[in-house]
Amino acid sequence: MAGNNMRDIKRRIKSNTSMEQITKAMKLVSAAKLRKAKSIFDRIQENFNYVSESIEEVFHNADGVPDEYLAGGREIKRTAYIIITSNRGLCGSFNSNVIKEAVTLMENDPGEPVIIAIGSKGRDYFAKRNYEICAEYMLPPEDISFLDVRNIITRPVVGMYNRGEIDRIILVSTRFISTLTQETETQTLLPLEVGEKNLGMPALPYSMEYGPSVEEVFNYLVPKYVEIRLYSAIVESATSEHAARRMAMESATDNANEMINELTMNYNRARQAAITREITEIVGGAEALA
Amino acid sequence: MANTLQLEVITPSKLFYRGEVELVIVRTTEGDEGFMANHSWGVKLLAAGELWFKEAETKKFRVASLAGGFIDVKENIIIFTDAAEWPEEIDVERAKEERRKAEEWLKFPSEDDIEIELARTAIRKSTVRMNVKEGGLKQRQ
Repeated sequence: MAGNNMRDIKRRIKSNTSMEQITKAMKLVSAAKLRKAKSIFDRIQENFNYVSESIEEVFHNADGVPDEYLAGGREIKRTAYIIITSNRGLCGSFNSNVIKEAVTLMENDPGEPVIIAIGSKGRDYFAKRNYEICAEYMLPPEDISFLDVRNIITRPVVGMYNRGEIDRIILVSTRFISTLTQETETQTLLPLEVGEKNLGMPALPYSMEYGPSVEEVFNYLVPKYVEIRLYSAIVESATSEHAARRMAMESATDNANEMINELTMNYNRARQAAITREITEIVGGAEALA
Repeated sequence: MANTLQLEVITPSKLFYRGEVELVIVRTTEGDEGFMANHSWGVKLLAAGELWFKEAETKKFRVASLAGGFIDVKENIIIFTDAAEWPEEIDVERAKEERRKAEEWLKFPSEDDIEIELARTAIRKSTVRMNVKEGGLKQRQ
């Protein structure tokens, strides 16, 4: 009986050790990927903040912004949700947080939601539950190019918006705050919420010239603005994914270590018990003979 | 001593150029337009075309190709473009190949307006790139 028990423990130690090796390797890979993704993210962040700031500045200061792009410009019946998840699992609650947030939003939305899924985890979840998915992007998010964002996502989505098939575009993604914390974030891409942004945005001291016309400028800038916000959100989400996976793998490695220690202790105890019993048996036997 | 202003050219993947310049010339959708310091403020759309600017330090003109975008003129100028290239980065063979392909498409025009538009844009872009490789359509000193 004791032999059996010991063999069991030994087997569990072995499988835990190999598990620990795997999670450790994955942690190192994620750390390397995180570094790479973060450098791209930082670079984009700097440039894009600039551009979106300058676009926002224009939005508030022009009188000619077409009504349809502004909040309150039309009644909101259908909302499109752009949901950014990852393609791979083993990253803690990264995907489930985003999905949970999106589901809550949709439950509170009386209209029928339209879903644009970026990343297969979100796609699979909503496809299984029979939501309408109008566009999807399944390649690894860190390889996405600006052109892909435009052709696959923004062009059709903004087109639907302009045709009145959808009245609002909401983006659910993960914000990268630090390598230890990531937060789910919801932002409305369209219509533009001017009221909120007027705060802290001083009016421009000079009047602006628009060429060829205000309307054309806005017809160009609005999709561009959506593209920029979306692209940086995708890159940010990829960075968060690696950070989340690194954390998940780190705690998995820690847990495996802890378990191995405990099992080793149990194993030694079982071995010691077996030895003690054998000695008692021998001593007992010798006494009986004497 | 001419006044100078800061020019920044931003593409989706990088900061293409940042520096003090005296004069910036771009192809807007309405034609070539030049901007110097203290220009009235504005936002204009750019067509695929050449970007010229005179660097404050060297007093020399530099040229680059732009693939459309917009220019934001305030105290400083920000150009946001989908793609920008210096002459030495341009692969002429590829540009020629692209133009040839696009011309091929136009020979058998499809019903799709977007496709025709894409082909036209591709022709314009590759032409600009070839011109920039040669040092620009107009020589500026």
